This record gives sequence, C-alpha cells and structure tokens, in this order.
Amino acid sequence: MRRYLLAIPLMLGAADASAQSMRPFSTFRQWHGETRLAARLEYAAGALRVGAGHADELYRMDLSYDEERFVPLSDFDASGGAVTLGVAAEGRGGVRVVSQNQLRQSAGVAFSPKADLALDVELGAVDGELDLGGLRISELDVSAGASRATVRFSTPNGTRCRSANLRAGAAQLSVLGLGNSRCDRIAFEGGVGKVTLDFGGAWTSNSKVEVTMALGELTLRLPRQVGVSVTLDKFLSSFDPEGLERRGTSYRSSGYEQAARQLDIDISTAGGAVKVEWSGEE
Amino acid sequence: MPTSSRIGALLAALCVGIPVTAVAALPMGPTDSRTAALVHNFWQLVSDVSTLALTPKQAQQPSPTPQAIAPAPEGSAPVNLGDLSKPQDLEAKLRAALRPTDGTTRVTVTDGIARLGAFTIGTDQQMRGHLLVVRGDADVYGHLQGNLVTVDGDVFVHDGGVVVGDILALGGEVRHGEKAEIGGEVRQLRTTTVLAPVTPPAEPPAPSALETVFRRGAGVVGVFLTLCVLGFGLVMFGRPNLEVVSDTVSHSFGRSFITGLLGQILLLPTFGMLVVGLILSVAGILLLPFAVAVYVLLVVVGVVGGYFAVAHAMGETYVRRRMALGAIVGSPNSYRYLLIGLGALAACWLAWAAFGWVPVAGNLIRGVAFLVTWLLGTAGFGAALLSRAGIRENFAGRLLPPEALTDEYLWATPQYGVQAARRPGSRTPTRGL
Repeated sequence: MRRYLLAIPLMLGAADASAQSMRPFSTFRQWHGETRLAARLEYAAGALRVGAGHADELYRMDLSYDEERFVPLSDFDASGGAVTLGVAAEGRGGVRVVSQNQLRQSAGVAFSPKADLALDVELGAVDGELDLGGLRISELDVSAGASRATVRFSTPNGTRCRSANLRAGAAQLSVLGLGNSRCDRIAFEGGVGKVTLDFGGAWTSNSKVEVTMALGELTLRLPRQVGVSVTLDKFLSSFDPEGLERRGTSYRSSGYEQAARQLDIDISTAGGAVKVEWSGEE
Repeated sequence: MPTSSRIGALLAALCVGIPVTAVAALPMGPTDSRTAALVHNFWQLVSDVSTLALTPKQAQQPSPTPQAIAPAPEGSAPVNLGDLSKPQDLEAKLRAALRPTDGTTRVTVTDGIARLGAFTIGTDQQMRGHLLVVRGDADVYGHLQGNLVTVDGDVFVHDGGVVVGDILALGGEVRHGEKAEIGGEVRQLRTTTVLAPVTPPAEPPAPSALETVFRRGAGVVGVFLTLCVLGFGLVMFGRPNLEVVSDTVSHSFGRSFITGLLGQILLLPTFGMLVVGLILSVAGILLLPFAVAVYVLLVVVGVVGGYFAVAHAMGETYVRRRMALGAIVGSPNSYRYLLIGLGALAACWLAWAAFGWVPVAGNLIRGVAFLVTWLLGTAGFGAALLSRAGIRENFAGRLLPPEALTDEYLWATPQYGVQAARRPGSRTPTRGL
C-alpha cells in the first residue's frame, strides 16, 4: 500500500514533467582574429558548464531550455566586442521544481582560448561548473544567487588578470586554484552560504584578497609554499587560525617575509565562521 | 578500362562537378544531354536514400519545387531579418507571415528575398540583402552580403563560401566548411513550429450528465466531511458554547435571523469604522494589521460556528422527536446531533448534485439549496451574535433556575407543587350521613 501511495506523487510529477518541453538551441561565432571579448553570461536556472572551446570559434553555447518559462540570450555587439549569452526567465519565470531531475535546463558555454576574456557571470538557481583553465581571463566577475557552483582555474591563466570579483548569496561556492588565476586583486563577498576559497596553483606574483563574509562558513585553503598573512575584522564570528601565528592584528604563516610570493588576505565577517586548511607539502 | 574503374571515374567527376552543377542548375534548367540525365538520376537516387533517414512526417512532405515566394499583398507587414538576436520573436513573426492565404504562401522580406525549397548561392554569385529560405536547405558557395534564415531546412556554408551577416536555422542545423567564413553570429533552433498547421485549441468535451453528477456529488461529500471534521473539533473543545448558540437558534429563530441579517449588513461599515478609528488614533495604526486579522477571524468563526450551531439544533430536534416517539437512539449526544444536522443540510446540495443537470429544475434546486443554506447560516450567525459566541444564555430558553433542572420533572408530582386547600363554601363530605 505504502508503495502505491509513494507512487502517486511520482506519477503526478511525471505528468507535469511531460508537459515541460525542452528545446535545443545553439549559437556560435567564428573567430576572426579578435583579441578581446567582453562576455556576459546570465543563467537563471539549470546546469551550466563553462570552459575553453575550439580555437576557431570566439564563443559557443549549446543550450537545452524550457521554452515555456525561459528565453535564450545570444547577442553579439560587434562594435564593443561584447556578447551576452545564457538564459533568462520570461513571463511567469521562476523555477519549475517538480523533482531533482526536472530542473535540468542545461548549457555548455565555451570561449576561445585566443582572445582575452572579460567574463561577467550571473547565476540564479544554478548547478554550475566553470573551468576557466585554458582561457585568457583578463577580468572576472562572478555572482551566484542560490547556486551550487565551482569556479576552477585548472591551468594557469593565459594572461594577467586585473581583478576577480566574486559574490555569493545563499550559495555553495568553491573557487579552486586561485593561484592559477594570475589576478592582481581578488575580492569576495559572501552571504549565508558555504564558501571555499582555494589558493592553490602556480603563483607568479604577490596578490591581495579582500573577503567580506556575513553569516556563512568560509574555508580558506592555503598553499604552504606561499607566505600568507590574514587580517581579520570579526564580530560574533569564529576563526580557527590553524598554522598561523598572531602578529599584532594579523595572523601570518611561518616564513612569510622570506616567501617568494606573498598572499595578503583581509577578512571582514559578522556572524560567520572562518576555517583555515593547508594544502601542499610541508 | 574495366567497368568498376569507369564507374569510379564517373563518380569522381561528378563529385568534382557538384558545385558547378548546383550553380548551373538554377539558371540553366534541365538539359537533354546524357551526362545531365545521369547526374539527375544519381542525385535522385541520393535523394531517395536520404529520404529513408527522415522522420515519417518529413518523409510524407515532398520537397517543394524551388521557386521564389511572391511578395505579400499591400498592407501586410513585411518580415525584417535585420536582427536575428531574438529567434523566438522572429519565429512568431514568420509563423504569422508564412501562413498560407488562399493556398499560397506570400511574404515580403525587408531588404531581401524569400525562397521556397532548396536554394544555392553559386561560387561565382554575390548576393546582397537578406535571404529567407523556407522548406529547403540553403547552400552557400558564393557570397551573401546579409543575413540568412532557413525555416525547416539546414544551412551549409561550403569552403570558400561567405556569409557576411548572421545565420539562423529554425528547425535545422548550420554546418560550415573549415574555409567557410561567417561574419556574424550563428544560431540554430533544432525544432520549430513556424510551418505547423494552425489548429484552434480543442474545446474540452462537455462532461456527461453522469460525470457531472459524480463530480458534484464528490464535491458535496468532500465539503460535508470537512465540515464534519471541523464540527467535531468544535464539539470536542467548545461544546458548552455550541450548545448555547444552538439553543438560541432553537428558541429564538426569528430573532436570530433578524440579528444575523443586520449583522451581515453592518459587517462592512463596522470594519470601515474600525479601520478609520485605528488610523485616526496614532497608536492604533500599529494595531491595524492585527485588528484587521482578528476582525476577519471573528467573522469567519461567527459564520461557521453559527452554521454548526444550526446543524446541531436540527439534529437535536430530530433526535428528541424520535425519542419522544419511542425510538431507541444509541447515544444522543452533540456529535450525533451535528452529524445528523450536517447530513440534512448536505442533502439539499446532494439533491442539486443529483438533479442539477436537469435544465430548469436543476437551477431551481440550486437556488433552493443556496437559499436554505444562506437562511440557516444567517440565523446561526445571528444566534452567535445574540449569545456572544455562546456566553450569554438570555435567548437560549434557559429561564429555569439551575436548581430546577433536575430529573424530578419526570415524576408525576412537581417539585414545587401547589399546596392543597379547601375551596370556600364547598361541602365537606360526610360519611354515613
């Protein structure tokens, strides 16, 4: 009997799912020797994968979207060298949450590894995997709403990055391999989610990181080969300075002054929890 | 030369000559040479084989003869292919524009042309303006100075071919050679409904009489069960108040009805006065949301509670009459009273559920059921007001003092009997006189 009762909502879900029509949409643009591209990626809901694409294409997006609620975005401004891609809510909008599997709008977005890319990503309710390794990121702006996203620099950035601004609302966000990002300045603003900032990778210069965290859990994964200084401004927050020594108002790793590369992290948190983990050989 | 070598050489020659042939086919038309016939037959064979891979729906639709689409008559809105960044919008416009009128499709493309069936831009051709290809593939070997849109067809930009503008394939794919050049953005929607026949939304079939009866009956039963649950809760937690309101209905029905009617009329003015009064008093503004919520809650409780009280009174009256007639009632309590009363009230609506489909009588029954429900609801609401939600017993017919409410009234001799006295002037009976 209980099996039948359990089957009822599943059947209802299936009925609704059948009404949901996913429509495939693709867009791309050939690479005509462009040296830079300003890309804005707006993705309201679903699964998203971002990475490096073919060298002969400036960008490409393969999308499967719910045509009843969303519209694909694909607009290239030739004069400004800017493109807007993604999917935006239309009409009723919102997210159709029938079951875990029915959230499956999906998109794969790829950018040319030849052009310097100023990437602005805005995520809604998204399960996202952004592998920026192999790209030439000149500027990065990521804003995640109620998302579960991973931003990864799997290989060193092809060019110097001026800044990386990361924002997370009620998100579970992991930013991995920030050492590969080659960003001069990294800023992070967190809301109430769970955030991991991994500073692993090949550091080629000193870097400054500003972290503002409200209620939430922040994990700093620090590489041992880099000298780390953490300055903390906290209110009703916990901080576990594992492996760091207190020097006045800041915490420093041993051998900070002698390290070839130095990483200075300023943290402001109110009601959050900050943890420190170490990566790499001792 | 062996036969197999000859066939191979012929096929190779055909493959080399494809672009030239494709270009030549349009302006030249069929020729009577044997080579042209061979080529024609070969492509017919290829076409037949490729048709096998199509979906049954596609296979049913023969490819239209390539031709230009005539411009739409004056007054019709032209289709602008200048901006392809919103494929859905363009799709909607094309759907309207390509709808056949009098069996023919006519469309005007702003700064461009429209073609039906497969279309090829040859290697030595340069075309200016936008191009719309409907129900056919677009092959570009040459140069297109504009945007290209296909509906139910693929786009092939071959090596050496150039499309300066954007490309949009609605219901098709875009493919290009390694040395093809596309200046703009390429978009493809694999499916489209542009050419789908327009079918008016089907009217849902009218439900049969039996279905109507079943549906309405289920609704009435559902409401009845809901009221039963609520009513039993009221009996469980507020029986004294329910009984007082119920007695008020029984003993002062007319008064209750009038009070309920006045209460309904004064509901909105009272609410307005409450709101205005709270707004005028500075401190009261803060209480306004709570006051509004409480007022609405009180009204709902008054109406629903009063309705339950009426049902209770009906059930009690019915049970007592049966007991007076000597029937044995298992357990005459408030739960039974309420159940019987609600059943009686539901019977009105069940009658409507059963016979509501009858043309005139159905409306009459519904009107009667509504009137009865409103009448009793009004009386119940009035009784709830009169008895202050079952706190005051003034109109409940409970005028006897509590000490009088004993079971001794069942005895022949009243508790407060009149003392016997001799009548003045009456004769004293004498015995043996």
